[in-house]
Order: sequence, then structure tokens, then C-alpha cells
Amino acid sequence: MSDDRPRPRAFRLDDHRVAVDDARAPLAPMATILTEPEPAPLGDDPALDLAEREVEAAQGAGVAKKPRWSLATVAWVGFGGLVSLAVGLWVDSLIEALFARAQSLGAIAVAFAVLLIVGALGLLIREIVAVARQRRIAELHAALARARAADDREAARALVGRLAALYARRPETARARAEVEEARRAVIDGRDLVDVAERALLKPIDKRVQAEIAAAARRVSMVTAVSPRAILDLLFVAAQVVRLTRRVAELYGGRPGLFGFFALLRSIGAHLAITGGMAVGDSLLQQVVGHGVASRISARLGEGVLNGLLTARVGLSAMAVCRPAPFEVDKPPGVAEVAPFLFRKAKGE
Amino acid sequence: MSLFTDLAFEAGVVARSLADYLSGGALRLGVTGLSRSGKTVFITALVDNLVNGGRLPVLRAAAEGRIARVHLEPQPDDAVPRFPYEEHLAAIAGPERRWPASTRRVSQLRVTIEFERASAWGGARAQSLNLDIVDYPGEWLLDLALIDKSYADWSRETIEAARSKARAPLAGDWNAYLAELDPAASADEAVALKAAERFTAYLRRARDATYALSTLPPGRFLMPGDLEGSPALTFAPLPLDGGEIAAGSLAAMMERRYEAYKTHVARPFFRDHFARLDRQIVLVDLLAALNSGPGALADLETALDGVTHAFRAGRASRLGAIFRPRIDRILFAATKADHLHHADHDRLEAALKLMTSRAIARAEGLGAEIDVAALAAVRATREAEIRHNGEALPAIVGTPEEGERIDGQVFDGVAEAAVFPGRLPDDPAAALAGEGLALAEVDNSWRFVRFRPPMTQRGAPPPHIRLDRTLQFLIGDRLT
Repeated sequence: MSDDRPRPRAFRLDDHRVAVDDARAPLAPMATILTEPEPAPLGDDPALDLAEREVEAAQGAGVAKKPRWSLATVAWVGFGGLVSLAVGLWVDSLIEALFARAQSLGAIAVAFAVLLIVGALGLLIREIVAVARQRRIAELHAALARARAADDREAARALVGRLAALYARRPETARARAEVEEARRAVIDGRDLVDVAERALLKPIDKRVQAEIAAAARRVSMVTAVSPRAILDLLFVAAQVVRLTRRVAELYGGRPGLFGFFALLRSIGAHLAITGGMAVGDSLLQQVVGHGVASRISARLGEGVLNGLLTARVGLSAMAVCRPAPFEVDKPPGVAEVAPFLFRKAKGE
Repeated sequence: MSLFTDLAFEAGVVARSLADYLSGGALRLGVTGLSRSGKTVFITALVDNLVNGGRLPVLRAAAEGRIARVHLEPQPDDAVPRFPYEEHLAAIAGPERRWPASTRRVSQLRVTIEFERASAWGGARAQSLNLDIVDYPGEWLLDLALIDKSYADWSRETIEAARSKARAPLAGDWNAYLAELDPAASADEAVALKAAERFTAYLRRARDATYALSTLPPGRFLMPGDLEGSPALTFAPLPLDGGEIAAGSLAAMMERRYEAYKTHVARPFFRDHFARLDRQIVLVDLLAALNSGPGALADLETALDGVTHAFRAGRASRLGAIFRPRIDRILFAATKADHLHHADHDRLEAALKLMTSRAIARAEGLGAEIDVAALAAVRATREAEIRHNGEALPAIVGTPEEGERIDGQVFDGVAEAAVFPGRLPDDPAAALAGEGLALAEVDNSWRFVRFRPPMTQRGAPPPHIRLDRTLQFLIGDRLT
């Protein structure tokens, strides 16, 4: 045995030379885990399963995308700068003109200009924060998947703490957070710890998300079935999808702003595109069969069902992309689970 | 074994399995472990946590709130005493705070878990799972290795081991007596008695905590149970040198008694408690062997290998469940994991994995699922960090047992202490290299101290390490 190892030893706590600091030791410092978002082609980390790699690829295409300077970006920056300058010039001349007409009008115009600047700045900051939050959640997702696959106790401890902190402002998660905190302090392996946190924190949220998806799918299928014009259907479906996506992101803790929302839509689109092939085995068959049966009853009804299915699929993709941890304890829900009413044709929803 | 005894034995096993199945198919959990590996504490903690609602976040059914009620029921075998769960719990969690005394006889317990099954289509279905657990003296486990061994083989192996470098100092008295014995002499009860006495004394000495040897069959010599003084226990190995055993000689008498031991002690024990298991946990106290040295670890490895040979592992099938149950999940657990810091648990698991690698390969080849875990059914310590001379040492805090010593300190069983037990090597093979035995403290870079049970709140199950993970692996799939 080498001699540079510290020797075994013991210290009696009633020894006067021993001071006991009973304060709860802070847990290991938060690990900084840097993850490379993968481009839309799937990553090849052998520790992760296919579904997880798909989700990460989709996140990489949108919410977790690294800002990159492309020619289009350069052009847009140039255009944006010119537009801002033009607006500035116009405001400046407007205020000058107003001052020329009357002192008081000019003062009012200045006040409005200040309001505009403050408001715009606020909006900008909120957008930046929202995008950063979304990216953080996507990174957390990837890091949790890796910590679980590697059964890494220390990383899991830090990450699960971050997961709980995500919901610190929600009083209804108090018990779940306490449970997770207790599990962090106990000696539990990394894999199990991630599972405990997922079960305690995310499962109740999953239920609410599924209810949202079901409600949206139901609304879409019913409205499509009764609406007189195709264009109205389209608008309604689009509005419902937007509303649903925002709601799902909000429930999981990443409230998207405008740009964040566009990134989210890109991710959802990528996820739908990647998993589209899988849907054949999973639910497309049912979709076709369900549609066939339904359309025999009524063409409008069949369209309603199809739109409902579409909404549910988008909702499920949003769920996969926004969730701060991968589905490990339970399988991710399928269309049939969130919207079983779409498949029960006899009742004629 | 002759063909006839083989057949009769199998018929007995099948008959008992069938009777079990007809009386309402319980899950039979085998808790295996050599003496002092913590079987009794494990069973007590398991039952306590289930019955009194302990914190089991990794056990899925418990975490999801699907376990409605757990209670104890009269066990199915009327001939076997009940596992004195309340008594053991009082010893651990009561004011005395002591570990239960070593087990002297077989006992059994049935735990009924009432739970609800979450069905995919919504709604819940009430179900119940009967869990039969058997406790027995760990010493008897060693007899499993004897079942397929003839007297001549056993004699040769035992005498060789007693003369090996590691054991020779322990067996001096016995070896000297053995040299005087003549296997061909006519049978003499007095000689047999004396031989058995010396042999037993040698086995007892080898088991002592300082040496922590494990391969010491026959088990009843160490823990006779109700066979104390019976002729089945008055035999000893003799140097036969491959010669014929003449009728009427001392060797013939010894061989007859050895066979009687196998027929009346070893085989019924196997048939009643090992041939019909569904799940198996093997508790291994690595720490005592690590304290003693590589010789003790090698010995433990041999003992475990012999024991696991007796398992009937394999993939479970529906028909098999009725006639010939197979063990489809085996967990190897390094117990007393609370006696070292959690950062070392992975190394402890690696060492156990290395030591049981042969048994693991065998069981996996047969289709059984295997897991290895560092476990503490009752967590007697909490973790802390010692800052001493600018060094930060990961330590555990608890009340060491009276008489335990480390680094020149002797404990009185009352004072609490923060103990840094040293670090296990990153490469588990390094701990197993060599054949030292009963090493002094300076020769090891670790020293594990035994702790008294923790102070617990009245009624609340004591804390544990990975008991929930163990349960999830062993019975979790039956609770989905």
C-alpha cells in the first residue's frame, strides 16, 4: 500500500480539542456542465436512447441553438440598425417640430419618447431572459440525461438541485421540493436520484400538461367539425397550437417571449420531423384507421378528428422539448393516452 | 449422490413447490449471508420500513403512494418458529441500542403487501403480494458446499487448508493431534470425540473477528443448534491418502457420520430453504475481511463461490413457478456501507463485484438478473468532514462499539466519534492481492470500526442506505 494515503483515524466528539460544526454543510457546488447542442442530425452518445437523442437534436435546432453569425444574420443586423436609425431620425425631427410649435407639446413628446425607450428596453431584457431560461432548461435536460446514464452521484445532486430551484416559486411544489431535498441529502445513487426528482417534481406537471393537450385537441376537433369555412379552421387550429405551446412551456418553467417562442416552434418542428417516421408504428396507423372510420360517418367529423390528432402531436412534441428532464420513469405519453376520445368513434364526438 | 436419492430429493422439492403454489403463491425471498453479514438486521429493517412506512423514495410503488397497507401474517410453515421481529427491533431501536444476537435457529416471517396496480386505462386494481422471508444461522450456509462432496474430498481439502501458510498458526493444536491419528485403527468413540473437539476449536478460532475467515464447513460445528453433542457432529477429517477405507476402522466411522451429516442436516436444510426461492439477496460483510487482510478476502471468495453454486438461478417461467422455482434476480450486497463514507461506496461495490465475478457470470449465463450494491439496512452513522492539519478527510460520525480501536484510540461505547476509516484502493484487485491474515492496523490503509445502532425517534424506522433500491430490484417488478 502506498504511504501517501491519509491514515485511518478517529476523533472523539467529547474531546476538548475537537470542535463540531453542526451546521448543515452546503452540498457540492453547482457543477458547471457545458453541453454541446447537437445539430439536427442525431448525436451518437451510446449511453442515451434514441428518443432522448431525438429530443436533444430537436432542442439543438431551436431552444438550445447557439447564436451563429451567418450572412443572413449580418444582413438582418444591418437592416435592423438602419431601421432603428430611421426611427430615431423621425422621432428626433418630430420632437423638434413639436418644440417649434409649442414648448408644452415638445415636453410631452419627450416624455413619450422616454416611455418608449424604457418599454422597449424592458421588452428586450425580458426576451433575453426568456431565451436564456429556455436554453438553461434544455441544457439541464441534456445534463440530467447524461448524469443518469453515467449514474454520476455528484452531478445528479447538483442538477437535481437546479431542477428543484426551477420550481421554487410555485407553492404547489413545496412537498415535492422537500422530498427531493431530502433525497439529495441521503445517500442515493445518481440514477435513482434523477428518477426520484422526476417522479416527485415532474409527474404532477406532466399530468397538467397532458390535460392541456387533451383540452386543446378536444376544442380543435369540435370546432373543426362544426365550423363553416376551412380558413376559419386553419386560423383556429393555429391559434390553439400557439396557445398550447406557450402553456406547455410555461408549465414546465420556461415562459417563452416572442423570440423564445419562435425558437420553440423551430424545435417542435424539428422534433415532429425527426419523430414523424416513428409515428407510423406508433399512432399513424391508428390515425388512418380512426380517420377512415370517422370519415365514413361524416367527412367533417373526420376532419375534426384529424385536426385534433395534429394538435395532440404538436402538444406532445412541445412536451418533449420543454421538459427539463428526459422521460425515464415512465414512457412518454402517446396520442392515444392524452386524447383517447379521438379514437372512440361510436360516440361521435 | 446416487440416482435414487437424487430422484427422491427432486420429488421432495417438487412436492413442496406444488404445495406452496396451491396455498397461494407467495414470493419467496432468500436472504443469504454468512454469519455476521447482517441477515437479521436486514430482515428486521426491511419489515420495519415496509410496515411502519419508512422513507423509501426509490421503491417505485412506495414513492407513487400505491402501497395501501403492509402487515405481518402467520407464516405458512407451522413447524418453523416465527422470526422474532419485534424482539430484534426492540434491540436495535430500543434504549439498549445493540445489534441482535447471532441467530441460533431457523425462523420465518410472512409479510403481506397490499397495493394497487396502476392500469394503463385508468382506474386502480387492488392486489396483494405475500413475501416469505427466512432467517437462519449463517454458519449453516457453508454446508451447501458439502452436499456434492465425498468424505475423502472434503478431508483432503480441509487438511490442506489447515496446513496452508495463512491458517497453520491457527490450527497448530489440531494439526499436531491429526499427525498422531491413524485412519486405519479400529473405531474408538473417545478418539472421535477428541478429534471433533480439536477440529471445532480450530474452526472457532479461525472465525474470530481478528482473522475473519469464512470457509469453515461444516456449519453445525460452529452453531450446533439442536444437534449439540449428537454423533452426527462427532467427526473430523482424516488423512486418507487415497487409500481404501477398511470396514470397522476409524475412517469408516468418520465417513459414515459425515454422510449422516449430509443426509440429516445439509440436504434437508437446502431442500427446505434454498431449493424453492424466487429472489435472492446475498449479504456480504466485506469490511471484516478487509480489516483482516487479503487472506480473509480470498477465503470469503471461496465460501461465496461454494454457496452460490447451490442457487437454482435462471429465467422464471410459469410452469417452473409451480414445479421448480428458479431464482431470476440475485442481488449481491456489501453490507454495513454506513461504516464508510459514501464516496467509497463505488469502490466497495467494485471489490464485491470482483469477488463474486464467477458467481455473477454463472447466474447471468443462466438468464438471471444480477445487481451489486453497497447497502446499510440500518444506517448507524452520519457523514461529516474532518479538517485536520490542513487536510480535509471525508468521515463518518457515530458511536463506535465498546472495545473498538483505531489509531491508538479505544472506544467505550458511549462517546461519539468522527472516524476516517481510510480509503479503499481505486483498483479493487489491489485489495485482494497477497495472502496476509489478521494484519495489524499499520499494514492496511484502512480500518473499519463497528458502530452501535443509531438513536432513532420512537416508532420511526431507522435510516438506511439503499434499502429502497434493494427492494425495488428484488420485489419492485411484482408491485407494478
